[in-house]
Amino acid sequence: MSFTSLSFPIFAAAAVAVYYLVPKRMQWGVLLIASLAFYCTGGGLSVGYVLYTAATVYAAARFLGRFQAEKAASPAERKKEAAAVCRRRSRLVCLAVILLNFGLLYFLKYWNFTAGLIQPLAERVFHGARVPLSRLLLPLGVSFFMFQSAGYVIDVYRGKYPPEKSFGKFLLFVSFFPQMVQGPISRYNDLASQLFAHRDLDHTDLKYGIQLAMWGYFKKLVIADRAAVLVSAVLDDPWSYGGMVQAAGVLFYCIQLYGDFSGGIDIARGAARLFGIELAENFRRPIFAASLTDFWRRWHITLGTWMRDYLFYPLSLSKPFGRLGRFARRHISGKLGRILPTSLATFIVYFVIGIWHGANFRYVAFGFWNGGWITLSLLLEEPLTRARTALHINDGALWYRLFRVLRTNLIVFLGRYMTRAPRLLTAVWMMKQALVHPRFAELADGTLMALGLGGLDFAVIALGMAVVLAAERYQEKGGCVRAALEKKSFAVQWLAIAAPLVVLLCLGVMRGDYISSDFIYKQF
Amino acid sequence: MSSKKWLVTFFATLVLIGIGVLCFNFLMDPFGVFSARALEWPSYEMTMNPRTAKFTYIEKHHGEYDSYIVGCSSASSYPTQALNRYLDASFYNMFTYGADMLDVEQFCSWLLENAEVRNLVVSVYIDNALRYDTLSDPLSYAMPAELTGESPLAFYSKYLFMDPRYSKNKLLAMMRDTYLVDGFDVFNALTGSYDKRVRDAEPIGDMDSYLVGYPYFADYPHEDYTMSEEAIAGTLESLTRIRDLCREKGARLLVVCNPVYAGYWDYFDTDEIEDFYSRLAEVTPYWDFSYSSVSFEPRYFYDETHFRNCVGDMALARIFGDESIYIPDDFGAYVTAENVREHLDSLTKVRPRDEKEYTAHIPVLMYHSVNASGGGDSTVITPERFEAHMAALSQAGYTAVLPDELEAYVEAGTPLPEKPIVITFDDGYLDNYTNAFPILRKYDLRAVIFAIGATVGQTEHYKDTEFEITPHFSYEQAREMVESGLVSVQSHTYDMHQWAPYESGRARENILRWEGEDEDSYISLLTADCAAIRKALVEGTGQKRVNVMAFPSGMYDVLSQEVLQENGFDVTFGYGHASAVLIKGMPQSLLSVNRYAVSGTVSVETLLEWVSGARG
Repeated sequence: MSFTSLSFPIFAAAAVAVYYLVPKRMQWGVLLIASLAFYCTGGGLSVGYVLYTAATVYAAARFLGRFQAEKAASPAERKKEAAAVCRRRSRLVCLAVILLNFGLLYFLKYWNFTAGLIQPLAERVFHGARVPLSRLLLPLGVSFFMFQSAGYVIDVYRGKYPPEKSFGKFLLFVSFFPQMVQGPISRYNDLASQLFAHRDLDHTDLKYGIQLAMWGYFKKLVIADRAAVLVSAVLDDPWSYGGMVQAAGVLFYCIQLYGDFSGGIDIARGAARLFGIELAENFRRPIFAASLTDFWRRWHITLGTWMRDYLFYPLSLSKPFGRLGRFARRHISGKLGRILPTSLATFIVYFVIGIWHGANFRYVAFGFWNGGWITLSLLLEEPLTRARTALHINDGALWYRLFRVLRTNLIVFLGRYMTRAPRLLTAVWMMKQALVHPRFAELADGTLMALGLGGLDFAVIALGMAVVLAAERYQEKGGCVRAALEKKSFAVQWLAIAAPLVVLLCLGVMRGDYISSDFIYKQF
Repeated sequence: MSSKKWLVTFFATLVLIGIGVLCFNFLMDPFGVFSARALEWPSYEMTMNPRTAKFTYIEKHHGEYDSYIVGCSSASSYPTQALNRYLDASFYNMFTYGADMLDVEQFCSWLLENAEVRNLVVSVYIDNALRYDTLSDPLSYAMPAELTGESPLAFYSKYLFMDPRYSKNKLLAMMRDTYLVDGFDVFNALTGSYDKRVRDAEPIGDMDSYLVGYPYFADYPHEDYTMSEEAIAGTLESLTRIRDLCREKGARLLVVCNPVYAGYWDYFDTDEIEDFYSRLAEVTPYWDFSYSSVSFEPRYFYDETHFRNCVGDMALARIFGDESIYIPDDFGAYVTAENVREHLDSLTKVRPRDEKEYTAHIPVLMYHSVNASGGGDSTVITPERFEAHMAALSQAGYTAVLPDELEAYVEAGTPLPEKPIVITFDDGYLDNYTNAFPILRKYDLRAVIFAIGATVGQTEHYKDTEFEITPHFSYEQAREMVESGLVSVQSHTYDMHQWAPYESGRARENILRWEGEDEDSYISLLTADCAAIRKALVEGTGQKRVNVMAFPSGMYDVLSQEVLQENGFDVTFGYGHASAVLIKGMPQSLLSVNRYAVSGTVSVETLLEWVSGARG
C-alpha cells in the first residue's frame, strides 16, 4: 500500500480508531497487526524477510543478554575470565547476526551488480560459465529495517540497554508501519517505550499528525510528483538536450528528491503521531546548510547518525585506525598527518552511504564526491580562516552566510548529477555539456515546455517551493508555524485547513492523467 | 482554537469537500449515468462509456426511434440513414465498443421489453467466438445497473465517488470542444454512430500512399487464435434468446456478420470458423459479409476489424437489393441452415480482385488562363500551346470526362471510357470562353471550369474597385458553354479567392479559417459562400447540379472540407503532381482529388509523359 494511495489514509484512520478503542494493554498488538497487514498489502510474501530479520536479531540479542547475565552471575574471583568469555561469545554472535542480515541484504541488493563485475573473469577462468543472477525482488524498505535492527543488536552488545524479551514487541519495533517504507531509521531506546506505552486519545497528537502528514502530501504530490515528469523526460534521455536543459533536469531532480523523501518522512511521522508516537526527525531544512558536513547533519539525519554511531566511531576508535593515526602523525607533516584517520573513516562512511543508495558506480562516485569535499574542507580549514581574516571577512555577514549556503547547494546539486544520470560517464559528460554546449536557447524556445509540464505546472512547482522555503526559513529562525497559526482568528485557522485540502485535491490528487510515481526511496 | 475544535473543523471541512466532489461528479456526470443532468453532453458521455450514456440517452429518447442496431464497435459502420431509407424506419445505433454478446443481449432485451422495436439489427463478429461475458474497467465499460441487476446503490456510488478528474476533464473538454470530432466526443449522439466526419474525409490515394498513413497493413503480423467453446456457446445462447424475444415481440431481426480484414481472418482456423458459422446458421439466418474480396483491400478498413462506412453502405445495399450502389459480386451472402455448407465452401474460394477492376488512376489537368500573353512560367498558356495539348491528347486516344462520370464510377461502378482524363480551368477567365472553348469543341473534349462567383462577368475592374482585372466570362457565356454539353461550370467559391492587393480589408484568399477566427462565424461564412455560388451558377448557367469545388490555391483543411461536404460539395479538387485515384464504393476518393498544374511552359511531350504515367 502506497502512502499516496487513497487506501493509506483510510487504513491509518481505521488503525487509529481500533488503537484507541481497545484496552490499553492491547494497543501495541493493534500496531503490530496493522504493521504486518500493511507490509503484506505492499510486499506480499516478502514479509518473510521482516520475520527473518526480526527473528535472527531478536535471538541474537537474547543470547547477548544471557551472556551478560552469566557474566554478572559469575563469582567475583572469576569475573575477569567470565568477562572475556562473554566478550568473545558476544562478539561472535553479534558478528554472525550482522553477517546473516547484511549478507542477505548484499545478496538481494548487490549480487547482480557483483555478478556483472565478475562475469568476464568467470568466463575466462571457467570457459564461458555464466554467473547466476538473482531474480528475487527487493523487499519493501529492506535497508531501513535491517539498519534499524543492526543498530539495536549493536546497542545491546554494547550494553546500552537490555534485550527485548517479547518477540512480538520486538517485531513491532522492526516493522512499525509508518516508518517501514522509507524510514526514519529509529533507535530502540527512542521508539520502544513509545510503541508499548498505554495511551489515551490525545487530540493534539491527532491534530499534529494530520498537519504533518498534509505537509508531507503537499511536498510529495504537489511538488515532487510534478517535478518527476520533467526529470524523467530529461534525464532518461539526456543526449537529446543541451547542458542547460540537462541542468534544469538535475535541478528539478533535487526538488523532486527533497519533496519526495522529506514529504514521505513527514507522512510517516504524521501517521506515527496519530498513535502518539514521535519518530525521529530525518530532515532539518537541508537547503539552509552552510557546509557539506552541515548538509549531512540535516539530510537523512537518521542514516547519518546511524553511520556515525555504528560505523564512523567504531572505525575511528578501532585499533588499526589508532595505529594508522600514530603512524600518520609521525610520518606525514602538517594537517594531513593529523586528520588522515578521520578522513579515511569519513571516506569509508560516504562510500557506504553511496552504495547504500544502490549498486552502481554512480553511487560509489557520489560517496567519494561527498567524502572528498569534506576532507578537502578539513584540509583547507586553516588557510581559509587565515584568508578570511586577512580579507576582513565577517563570518556572520549575511552575504557570507548566503555565499556558503549557495556553495553548499551547488556541491549537492553537482553530486546529484551522479545519482540520477543514466551512467557515471554520462554524468561527467553532462557537467561538461553545461559548460561547453549549454544551448541556452533551449530554455526559451519551447523545449522546456515540451517536457510534459505545462505553464501551470511550472508555476505550481515554483510557488510550492516558495511556500516550503518560506516555512523553512521561518523555522530556521526559530519560529513555529503551528504556534503562530494558533494565535490567529478562527477564519484564518479554518483557511489554513481548507486551503491545503483544496490544494491537495486539485493540484495533488487531481493532477493530469499520470499517476503518482512511487516514492523514490522505497527500494533503497 | 483547541485541538479538539481543530479536529472537528478539519473533519467538517473534509466532509464538505467530499460533498463538493460528489455534487461536482453528479453535476458533470461524465459517464452519463444520471438522467437528471444539468450539463448534458451525450457525445462526450458516450465516448467515456457508451453503455451507460447510450442507455441513459435512449431511456429518455426511445420515443423518437423505432429500430436499433446492437453490437460491437464495427457495427458503427452501418449507416442509420441508409437503413432508415431502406426500411422506412428510424434507427438508433446502440453499438458499444468492446461489446460481447451478453452485452448485446442485455441491450436487446431491455429495448424489446421497454421500447417500441420494429427492426433489430444485431451484428455478430468473429471475435464473439473468442470472448463472452468479459469483465472490464468498472467506469468505462460498466453496463447500466438496470440491465445487469447490480445493486443501484453500488452502481451509482461508483460514479458519485469517482476520481473528480473525470468530471474536471469533461469541464475542460467543454471549453476545448470544436465543431469537428475531438478525441473526447467521438459519437454522434443523434444516431448513436461514431462521428466519422473527419475519418471519412481523409485522402485515400493509391495503395502506397495509403500504407504510409496505415503502416499496420503494410506489414500485417500473423497470429493464431483459438476459438473458445464457452464463448461460442454463450454467444449462440444469447442470440437464441434475442431471436425468441424478437418473435415474441413481433420485431424483425436482422443478423449480420461484419466484414474483417483478410489478414485477421487468417488468424482463425478454418474448421473452427466453419463450426461457428454452421452453428450460427442453426440459430438464425444471417447475412455474412465477414470474408470476401473486400477483405483484401486495406483502404476499405480503418483497422483489421473496423471497416469504413462506405463498406457498411455496400453491405446494406446488398441486403436490400439496392442496385444504385456498387457492390463487389462476392460481397455478402444470405446464409441459412440449408445453404450454410454451400456458403462455407464458397468462402474457401475467396480471392483478392485485381486492383484495376475497382480502381482508376485518372490524370486531371489544371489550366488557368489561355491567351497570347502566355508562355512564361506562369499559369497562363498560349492558345497555340493549349491547342497542341488538346490535339495530342485527342490523338493519343484520351477521352475527357466530367465529374459526374467520376461520381458514377465511384458510387455505382459505372465503367469509365478507355483512357479517361479530366481537363479543368480555374478562376473563370473570359479567354476560357473565347480561346479555349473553341479548341475544346474542335477536339470534342469536355472540361470543368471553376468560376469565382464574385468576378463572373467582370471585364474591366476588380469588383467595385478601380483596379484593372483580367476579364472574366459572363453568365451568358457560361450558359452557352454549358449548353454545348462540353463544359461544366463549377465552384471556385463565390468570394473566397480574393486578390489581396485589391481588397480594402483583410482579404479572404482561400477557404481556410483565419487563425483565431471564431469557428461558428467562419462556418456560417463558408456555408453562405457555398449557397451563393450554387445559386449563382444554377441560375446563371442553367445547370442542375453544382457539387464540385476546386480549392482556391489548392488549400483546404479538415474543417473546410467538412463544411463543404455538408453543403453538398462532395467532389473537390486540389493540387498534387500525381493522377487521381478513384476507388469503386469509396465516395471519399472523390475528395481533394490531385491535379497536375499545367503552366505555360509545359510542352506536349511533358504533358503526355505526365498523363501516360497514370494507370487507366
